[in-house]
Order: sequence, then C-alpha cells, then structure tokens
Amino acid sequence: MAAELINPPPSVPPALALRMSQQAPRILQQSSGPSLPYLLSLLTASDAPETWIGYENLLLSCLRTGDDRSARMCLEKLTQRFGESNERVMALRGMYDEAVAEDYKALEAVFRGYEEILKQDPTNMPIRKRRVALLKAMNRPIDATTALVGLLDSSPTDAEAWAELADLYLTQNLYSQAIFSLEEVLLITPNAWNIHARMGEILYLSSLATNSNNDGNLMQGLCESMRRFCRSIELCDNYLRGYYGLKLTTSRLLSLPSKTSKPAPAATDPQFGDLAPPSLATIEKLHELATAKLAEIVRRNAAGESGWDGYEQAEVIAARELLDRDAQKVKR
Amino acid sequence: MALLSKALNAIGLLLLAHAVYSAHEHSALHAGAPSTSQAPSTTAALPLDITLETLTSVFLVCAGLVLGSPALRPIQWSEWAGEVEQEEGRQRQGRGKAGMKEGEGVGNPFRMLEERPGFVDVRAKRKEFADWVREGGSR
Repeated sequence: MAAELINPPPSVPPALALRMSQQAPRILQQSSGPSLPYLLSLLTASDAPETWIGYENLLLSCLRTGDDRSARMCLEKLTQRFGESNERVMALRGMYDEAVAEDYKALEAVFRGYEEILKQDPTNMPIRKRRVALLKAMNRPIDATTALVGLLDSSPTDAEAWAELADLYLTQNLYSQAIFSLEEVLLITPNAWNIHARMGEILYLSSLATNSNNDGNLMQGLCESMRRFCRSIELCDNYLRGYYGLKLTTSRLLSLPSKTSKPAPAATDPQFGDLAPPSLATIEKLHELATAKLAEIVRRNAAGESGWDGYEQAEVIAARELLDRDAQKVKR
Repeated sequence: MALLSKALNAIGLLLLAHAVYSAHEHSALHAGAPSTSQAPSTTAALPLDITLETLTSVFLVCAGLVLGSPALRPIQWSEWAGEVEQEEGRQRQGRGKAGMKEGEGVGNPFRMLEERPGFVDVRAKRKEFADWVREGGSR
C-alpha cells in the first residue's frame, strides 16, 4: 500500500484525494485472497496496523471522491476484521451513511440511528463526535454546541473536541467563548504551535470586530494576539503563519493613534491583572524582525532552496502581497 | 555511504572472528602443552598481534556502525517543528520523501487539532470535491 495512504499529508488537496481513491480497486482486489484463521493471521504482514489505517484512509478518500462502491468494500473489510460493535467501525459506518444519504430525511434517519446507539451505550465517543458533526452539517450549530459541551463535560481532556468547540463558537461569532475553548486546548497541548497561531488570529479578529471604537481595549487585544504569534514562532522555526500574524499585529499596533499617551509600562496592569502592553521600541523591533523574516522566506522559497520549499504557495503569495503593501506605504 | 559502512562492518566482524579464533587456539595450545617452563603465566600471555587485531576490528565495526546510522533528528523543539512543517508542505504538493519508513516522519502531532478527523463533515468534503471537478480539476 502506498505511503500516502498510510500516512496522508494534512488537508489532502482534491488532486491527491483523487489519486488515492483511484488506487482503491487495485488494493481491494489484491487483498481479497484467502485469509488465514483468526490469530494465525496476526503473524502475517497483512494484518499490520498500517494495513487497517490504510483501509480507513482509503475509505475516507473514496467517500470524498464519490466512489461509494469502493468505500462500501473498505467498510466491509474493516467490519469483517474488527466486528460490528467496534466503536471506530461504527463511526465509519455512520460516516458512510451520512455521505450516501440523499436528502434531509435520510440524514434524520442517520441521526436517529446515532441516538439509538447512544441510548444503549452513552460512552461511545466516536459516535458522540459523529453526532455533533452531523448536527453541524444539518445546519443546527446551537444543538451541536450543546451536544459538544455535554461531551466535554464527560471527557474534559479531549483536545480535539475543545478545538472543534472553538470552531463552532467562531462560526456563531462568539469570540470570547472561542478563545476560552482554545485556551483549554493549550492547557492540554501547551506546545501546539498551530493552536497558538490560531489563537493569535482569533484574538486579532475579535479585537478588530468588537473594539473598533475603544483604543485601550483594541490595544490590549492586539498585544495579546501579538504575544500568541510570538509564542508560535518560538515553538516553530520559520513559521510563515506566525510571522505573517506578527507583522499584521505589530503594524496595526504601530498605527494606533493613542500609543504616545500610554503610561510608562509596568510589569503588570493593576486594573486587569494582565501584562502591560510592551513598549513602542519593542513593537518596532518585532515589526522589523517579522518583515525581515517574511522577506527571507519569500525570497528563499522563490529561489527553491532546499529546506525552504515546503510552504503553501497561496501563503507565500499572501506574504508577498503584505510586504508589497507595506513597501507602498513607505514610498507614499 | 551505506556501501562503505557495510564493507567496514563486514571486514571488522571478520577480523574480530579471526582474532577470537586465534586467541582460542592459542590458549588451547598452551593448556595442552606440558608445563615445562617455570613461569606459565608468561607463556600463556596473548601475543601482541592478536591484541592488535582485536582492537583494530572493534574500531572498524564501531566506525562502520556510526557511518551507517541514519541522519540525526533535531533535538530542539522549534527546529524539529520547522522541519515537520516543511515536510508536510512538501507532501501536500505531492513531492514528499518517497518510501517513508516505519516510525519515521510521524508528522505534525498537532495538525489533528485543526483537521479534527473525528468531526469531519463528509458531505461538505464531497461537495467541495465535486465543485473542484466541475471547475476542471486544475490545481
């Protein structure tokens, strides 16, 4: 089985998904030979964990590309191996049913199926997650939020669920709840650089959306966002997303009119107990650093140097545009 | 590099085996011989060439093992994270390292917090793919 099936890259682009699902008939045919009896089959390579992860990923990409027949066969193989009552297999079957459901009524039937399973075993986490996902897909975000909060009540260390909750809140424009959920994620995985960057992005959005007429609060929010981006850069070398956010927040902070009227920075802000905003010199230095680093990334990526060629092209283009915009401002 | 390390290992092991055999033969010879001399400890001492051969062979095997070991991975978190991000990007563009071995390239452990495989919305993904096909499947 190909490496990309066992260990697929994140956010598989459509072209790769197509290529993966096109392998399905060949793989499914290959493995349809006679199988050894139970336990004896554990000794052969065909029962390695990679095989089954491969089948799972194959199922997902087949569902995505609409190859329902191959998806069905993958599902049958997984069911044969792990049994009907395996929680993960149950969730995969639910996913298959969701994908092939033709209208809203069919989706409702799938939903009722989930309820039925959960009535028998409320601890079935994969199915509970599917239920939330289905509610979200059925365009009932408030019910989905309630269900997810219930799930987190019983399993508060599930970072994935917290991240999903943050996303759900964000779609409803509830910024402070989203930030709280992401803070919970960071309590569980404090070194997740992408979550730090995500937090910075949400803080930036929320401070622009809610405090457009209050410079003090806006500044507070932007500083917090800047700190998050700094942390993500600290955790991951040459992190384009982090530097992009850092440049965005610092240039915004530098353009704030009230920056001169700020009192001398103390270690902590007595009013909120938060960190005081950094000094102007620090922000300027950070802005310079972000600009230099972004320019370096864009330049070396364009030159195709090894070790710098792994950036998403869209992200590099966005970074270049940000730099150009800044350069124009300087010229004017 | 792989060939060199394999050759060094083979030569080293061969020499080591030879040295061990020589030492064994030497001791067997002296144990069987009648103790005519007054000081048996000096005759039983290992000849210099066997000692040297042992040391050389061990050195060769060590060198071969070090040369043949895979490249070291960064021990600093940020450096490692940067490499993981780059490797992921390369995979997404379809030119990742081919034939990754088991345990190697475990990928970004925090990516799943943004992908969230347990909550994936299949129908949206299907629709996205169908749109992509309708647009001509470019990119």
